[in-house]
Amino acid sequence: MRTKLAAGLLLILGVPAFAHRLDEYLQATIITLEKNQVELFMRLVPGVAVAASVVGNIDKNGDGAISGLEQRAYAEQVLRDLSITIDGIRLNPQMTSVTFPTVDAINQGLGEIQFELSAPLPPAATAKRTLAVENHHQNGISAYLVNCLVPRDGDLRVTAQNRNQNQSGYRLDYIQSSALSRAPRAGLFSGTQRSWDMAVLIALLGFAILCGKQFVDALG
Amino acid sequence: MKIESGNVTRKVFALACISLSAALAQTPTSQVVAAAQKFLSTLDTKQQQSVLFAFNDDKQRVRWSNFPIAMVPRGGISLKEMNSVQRSATLDLLASVLSARGFEKVQQIMEGDEVNKTTDTGPRRPGNGGPPPSGPGGPRPPFRDGPMFGRDLYYISFLGTPSEKDPWMLQFGGHHLALNVTIAGERGVLTPTLTGAQPALYTKDGKTVRPLGQESDKAVSLLNALDDRQRKHAILSYHLADLVLGPGQDGKTIQPEGLKASEMNERQRSILLDVISEWTGIIHESAAAAKMAEIKADLSDTWFAWSGPTSVRPGQNITAYYRIQGPHLVIEYAPQTLGGDPSLHVHTMYRDPTNDYGRKFAAK
Repeated sequence: MRTKLAAGLLLILGVPAFAHRLDEYLQATIITLEKNQVELFMRLVPGVAVAASVVGNIDKNGDGAISGLEQRAYAEQVLRDLSITIDGIRLNPQMTSVTFPTVDAINQGLGEIQFELSAPLPPAATAKRTLAVENHHQNGISAYLVNCLVPRDGDLRVTAQNRNQNQSGYRLDYIQSSALSRAPRAGLFSGTQRSWDMAVLIALLGFAILCGKQFVDALG
Repeated sequence: MKIESGNVTRKVFALACISLSAALAQTPTSQVVAAAQKFLSTLDTKQQQSVLFAFNDDKQRVRWSNFPIAMVPRGGISLKEMNSVQRSATLDLLASVLSARGFEKVQQIMEGDEVNKTTDTGPRRPGNGGPPPSGPGGPRPPFRDGPMFGRDLYYISFLGTPSEKDPWMLQFGGHHLALNVTIAGERGVLTPTLTGAQPALYTKDGKTVRPLGQESDKAVSLLNALDDRQRKHAILSYHLADLVLGPGQDGKTIQPEGLKASEMNERQRSILLDVISEWTGIIHESAAAAKMAEIKADLSDTWFAWSGPTSVRPGQNITAYYRIQGPHLVIEYAPQTLGGDPSLHVHTMYRDPTNDYGRKFAAK
């Protein structure tokens, strides 16, 4: 369908495919992972064929300019369409930078909207962590790209990246080594370790009772 | 006056020896510098001012794109603005800084844009074009109603002054082409460089031309050389719609994916190096050899990832995206799904995130 739309547009324009994405809204996200926070850099580039609908969604009063208020409103809309979780806990990212091109540039397919956002990460309960990002913004017309930069902090090591077919869903598994060394060795109250600890406790208790009984018998 | 033939022979021999030793003493850098100086000497003062930028001009450094120059204007001067002597000197300079195959590839990309020009019958864009990737402040488009395509719409510029000792940079580019060559002493760095083609297959003088055909064919050879287990790792399960590290994405090292070369056998690694050589080999042989040595040393930590169809029609380009990434290398090959056959519209990117623009060597 989109291909037909683009082909139709090319026929109308009467030019060869001079540039590039015409009928898609490219949303490229680069993730910077740190121990205590995650940052997302998003580039949103509407193609010529979808520019009018994207602009209509931003320039609400249709005056051909994107006011500060309209910028904030659109940034909030993108945030609402975004879901970021760490170890299953939903994060509350904040916009740290917003850059808008002119309406003219967007209409020509050259406009790149840029958002930078960040969210603090809660302390790691275990060394194995999972960051998940879902982007549902304008999913009917969008082409998504999601990638993570190699962490600068040697304490963090990416172990797996998984995406759905169109990259609107992304999952990053990583190891936070310091959490491993910091985690209380006496994992008395966690998972498999708890079972082992309980078993040892019971055995020790049984042994103590047996010893106690033998001691009493010996006295008797 | 009678001239003794033996004397003449000795003199001719001596002159030949001097010429030969002078030629032998010429390093690749000295040849490039000589060609650059020769080119600059053909320009008038105004043209020289247009073409020369300060070496630390970072706005000009990143003023490159895959877009036509009418959409993203470049700095410097275009072939269109030059006379025949200046054009010839430009091509001589390119021939000195590039390998024979690199020079041919560049010419084929430009020729492809000439094909676009001959089929471009539509109206011009309505506006003045957007800002360059570096933001406002760059030159405005030179022609609102001018041509969008053509082999003469390619710009040359210099950052710094051509020198055998001090670092400087040569930029040459336009639609689907951005060569950023940093020369620092005997070192030559080609990253970041963008090559692209549209049409990525055309006919000239009865011959089929595929400017980026080897990049396609060699990658298919590598994919076909992998066994099922390796292909499972190499082939990504998701769609890649575009370059990840295209224009404006300098200095970023993304998490690598796909199949690691340490999991390949010798033959597969050899094919991988052959694919890589399509980019490293664009620059002149000496600089290419140095880069290739670095890549070979890193090869075990180099990854190959593929996304998209795994088959290709004979004589055609692939329609899949692929990426090769190592500690000092990122190569991306990205067909563009634009209103038709993606095999006919390709963008590629060649980077070294640790040394783009030769920053490692150029730091004073």
